[in-house]
Amino acid sequence: MVRRLSLRSPRTLRARRPPQRGPPPLPPPPTAPMDSPSQPQQPLPPPAEGGPAEDSEAAELPQLTVTQVEQMKVEAKVADIYRVLFGAAPHTKSLMLELWRDQHIEYLTGGLKHLGPSFHVLDANRPWLCYWMVHSLALLDETLDEDVEDYIVDFLSRCQDKDGGYGGGPRQLPHLATTYAAVNTLVTIGSERALSSINRDNLYKFMLQMKDTSGAFRMHEGGEIDVRACYTAISVASLVNILDGALAKGVGNYIRRCQTYEGGISGEPYAEAHGGYTFCGLAAMILLNEVDKLDLPSLTGWVAFRQGVECGFQGRTNKLVDGCYSFWQGAAVALIQKLITVVDEQLKSSYSSKRPPGDGACATSSSTEAMYYAKFGFDFIKKSNQIGPLFHNVALQQYILLCAQVLEGGLRDKPGKNRDHYHSCYCLSGLSVSQYSAMVDSDACPLPQHVLGPYSNLLEPIHPLYNVVLDKYHTAYEFFSSE
Amino acid sequence: MHGRPRRPDKPEDAAAAEAKAAKLRDLQTQVLRNHHSHTYSKEALGLSFKLLELNPEAYTAWNYRKLAFQHNLGELSELEAIKSSIDDELRVVELALRQNPKSYGAWYHRKWLLNQKLAPVDFKREFGLLDKLLKVDARNFHGWNYRRFLAKFMGVPEEEELKYTMDKISDNFSNYSAWHNRSILLSNLLTQQKKGFESKQKIFSEEFELVTQALFTDPSDQSGWFYHLWLLAQTSSPENPQLIALWPSNGAKLSLSSVREANDKQNTPFSFSSICCYSLKEGILPIVLFFNEPVKGLTPSSVSLNSDLVVGKDIQWRPLSVTNSGHSNCWVTYLEVSNLEYCSSQQFSVEISIPNTDDIVSRSGSIYNCPVNFTFTFEPNNIDSITKDTDLIHDPISWDCSEPLPSHVKPSCIHFDQLKITNALIQEESKWHLERLSDELDLFRELPDDNSKFAKLTLARLLLACAAIKSRGSSLIERRGYCEEALGLFNDLICLDPSHKRYYEDERSLVLMDQLTCNMESFMKYCSVQVLPNLAPLNHVQLCRLSLTRIGFVERLLWVQMLDLSHNNLRSIEGYTFPYAVTLYVYFKHLVKQGL
Repeated sequence: MVRRLSLRSPRTLRARRPPQRGPPPLPPPPTAPMDSPSQPQQPLPPPAEGGPAEDSEAAELPQLTVTQVEQMKVEAKVADIYRVLFGAAPHTKSLMLELWRDQHIEYLTGGLKHLGPSFHVLDANRPWLCYWMVHSLALLDETLDEDVEDYIVDFLSRCQDKDGGYGGGPRQLPHLATTYAAVNTLVTIGSERALSSINRDNLYKFMLQMKDTSGAFRMHEGGEIDVRACYTAISVASLVNILDGALAKGVGNYIRRCQTYEGGISGEPYAEAHGGYTFCGLAAMILLNEVDKLDLPSLTGWVAFRQGVECGFQGRTNKLVDGCYSFWQGAAVALIQKLITVVDEQLKSSYSSKRPPGDGACATSSSTEAMYYAKFGFDFIKKSNQIGPLFHNVALQQYILLCAQVLEGGLRDKPGKNRDHYHSCYCLSGLSVSQYSAMVDSDACPLPQHVLGPYSNLLEPIHPLYNVVLDKYHTAYEFFSSE
Repeated sequence: MHGRPRRPDKPEDAAAAEAKAAKLRDLQTQVLRNHHSHTYSKEALGLSFKLLELNPEAYTAWNYRKLAFQHNLGELSELEAIKSSIDDELRVVELALRQNPKSYGAWYHRKWLLNQKLAPVDFKREFGLLDKLLKVDARNFHGWNYRRFLAKFMGVPEEEELKYTMDKISDNFSNYSAWHNRSILLSNLLTQQKKGFESKQKIFSEEFELVTQALFTDPSDQSGWFYHLWLLAQTSSPENPQLIALWPSNGAKLSLSSVREANDKQNTPFSFSSICCYSLKEGILPIVLFFNEPVKGLTPSSVSLNSDLVVGKDIQWRPLSVTNSGHSNCWVTYLEVSNLEYCSSQQFSVEISIPNTDDIVSRSGSIYNCPVNFTFTFEPNNIDSITKDTDLIHDPISWDCSEPLPSHVKPSCIHFDQLKITNALIQEESKWHLERLSDELDLFRELPDDNSKFAKLTLARLLLACAAIKSRGSSLIERRGYCEEALGLFNDLICLDPSHKRYYEDERSLVLMDQLTCNMESFMKYCSVQVLPNLAPLNHVQLCRLSLTRIGFVERLLWVQMLDLSHNNLRSIEGYTFPYAVTLYVYFKHLVKQGL
């Protein structure tokens, strides 16, 4: 039943002599990323070529898997960049660690004014483009021209379906993810005109229609059901204050079923834990006030270990680092910082015992029918960070500033990749999260040692449950709770 | 949201790009128009085909095709025509996936189509498509999701799928998606007790061999380590909830003493204390049951309590530190003993038993299945006799019957291993678990010290798993050895991997607490009996200056009346709502106020 791994250099298990492959290619990130010099890079071993099965007998050293070769290439690139940093004079260092605000602003505003032709694949995702750019600019504290704002509000109004929800463009079917993007954009613009353009009654009806009998949401009529759909629905509903028991019912149990033994959350039951879904699942559970259904200690462990030697985060076990997970994973950790009470409660079970996630029979939703759901998001941000950062927040800033910034403006996945608005948005969101995560209060000004590079790198704080700038959130909260 | 804009690698000729975009917009406009006018002609369908081939993200077009398919189906009667219509849909999906193998809409369309169950599914075509796609990107989670869907849909035996994961792992053992699917399949096969999968022990032994082989081939690869972690969790945890501690312990003989407070002679509430009893104003004796995982369902019928003492009508078990769902590790009930005659030297006994019951269940729904029965006795005593003829202040408490007891101390005991779980099955399981884990330990100790954090962490976790199993047996002292080694590893890890320092510090704190409290010899150093004015002597535990960042093993502190945790690095006290506040509150609150 169990077969030997026949494709690698055969080593009998009983001999138990692991291969001598030399030290790992990169030393782990030093405590303070600037303090210690990086070691010289090991030369890259030749990539695995040809049918591995044939030449495995001959190989003295084990061949590397494709995955390993790719990983080493990335580590080498990142190490090169860091080596330059460590070798640089103090003044140069400071320059290297600067956030290129002006360039990013230029890239983002340019994008807003006219979306280049190569963006055609996103024609079903135009509200997303609006959100990525508008939110990024808000993080940089850059105000938009009024006519640009008006143009966006008008455009999004045309995307709004007459029966509620927003589509990827005018006349397209309403879709939960683009609804999230549209609503977050409007909240970020924050004007009376923007906020009142959302038809909340119809939005509520649309969301009810998207609800599956299981309690989970589907993306659009006839569309797929997953954790992303659940998060975007719950986030929007909470933000515009239409979340109630009918929408909330059953969502928590679905998300709980998506937590894997690793601790992270997958897109659908039985799938693999994934950074994006982990954020979505965790944030939705907090907004539903059902977070104790998740196994938080194992979730914390999973997320924390996604930060690698490159200082950035990977999205899944044994995948390459990617700047966008600076937000998905980084914000998940930031959320946990405010949940330590719940984590500790769960940790009281003896640490070696398996802790299956929460109880399915629990009727939280029905007992909370009368709850004021929007309060959960509001109160959450007021909670203090009960402990310091659970990840290396300064190292993450180092990755974003040195590896994800593009000189011409915009941010990217990793060195060697192109910039785009998606990565710009989530790298900057992650940067903001990591700058503020060492503070006890979520909007207190961070101390200089928590902001890597010049203090002018400091971005606006966000509300991590919705990923909108905190001030904008408060305006929207007031607006929608008075309606 | 996770769909990345796929920009062309090189800036194309601007004019060509513009033309392409114009064409696309034109197509999209036409498709949307057809959608709104319910036009489902062949020509209109062709346009949506073209649009999706160019832009699989156009989810409205997918929906349009579903509506059109259903509409046109009504007009078809011949199976061949239906088949050809299905074939068209399958082809759109394939072309769309060629453009973007991660298109949510495309994958979903295919699932939807199959679920219509209109014609037999071409097994070869489906798995062929998957093979092709997973060859290009072995980690495409859409592909793996579809594979799980397909296997279930077609009734492919899970044994077959297990073989497939093996193939994929052989291709590239870094492929964590394959390892992950393996864990899902194995769990199902074992739960269903499929042929060849009756013995968990056999299967897990084989899996350990397999993954260890991968790890030894290349210890720097992450995937195997995480699969190993899953195996470890399966191997080291008991299946059913277990009672791991209780207070008062089995066989304990308590002496309850009343203390009269000097300033309130008239209406003095009794205070009980002795070596092991509680100093309670209300004159109640708490009985605490502590389980290894949160359970619920403790009722007078699931836990019986008999005593020659007149017990109040209803004994209610209350959860401490309760979760939303009503589960708790720790349950307590309070016996009223305030109206006893304290001059008598009569002994009262209390017997508690938990029979085999379906009522007590864990969060995962497994039932408590180790019937236990324990008794303790207590005898009222006069405080004067204690304070006169004993010098308790510097005498440490004693907690093990097997240890010689200081003569002046009442023969009361605190067992940490208060319950001998005699269930043969569990012992046998533990034995296998321990053997399995010991083998793994021996193996990993041989990995040369290449400072791999995964290797060290896995070794530490193996050690702790062994330690935990030892606690279920009777050899708490062996536990120390494991703890010692694990402590060293966490210290190494803190230096080696500073990014995760806090995580390691927390783990280290737990191990340290385990080590300090797991046997009498070590714990003794931290225990004393304190006598405060007008109060009965109190059991005092000082765990100070230990660099603890987290508290654990509270089940071993059930008897503690004063707990001093000062001068540690506890990050927050907020989380530690000590379930035993009944006994600890005075000093504990004091600590909270000091803000540690």
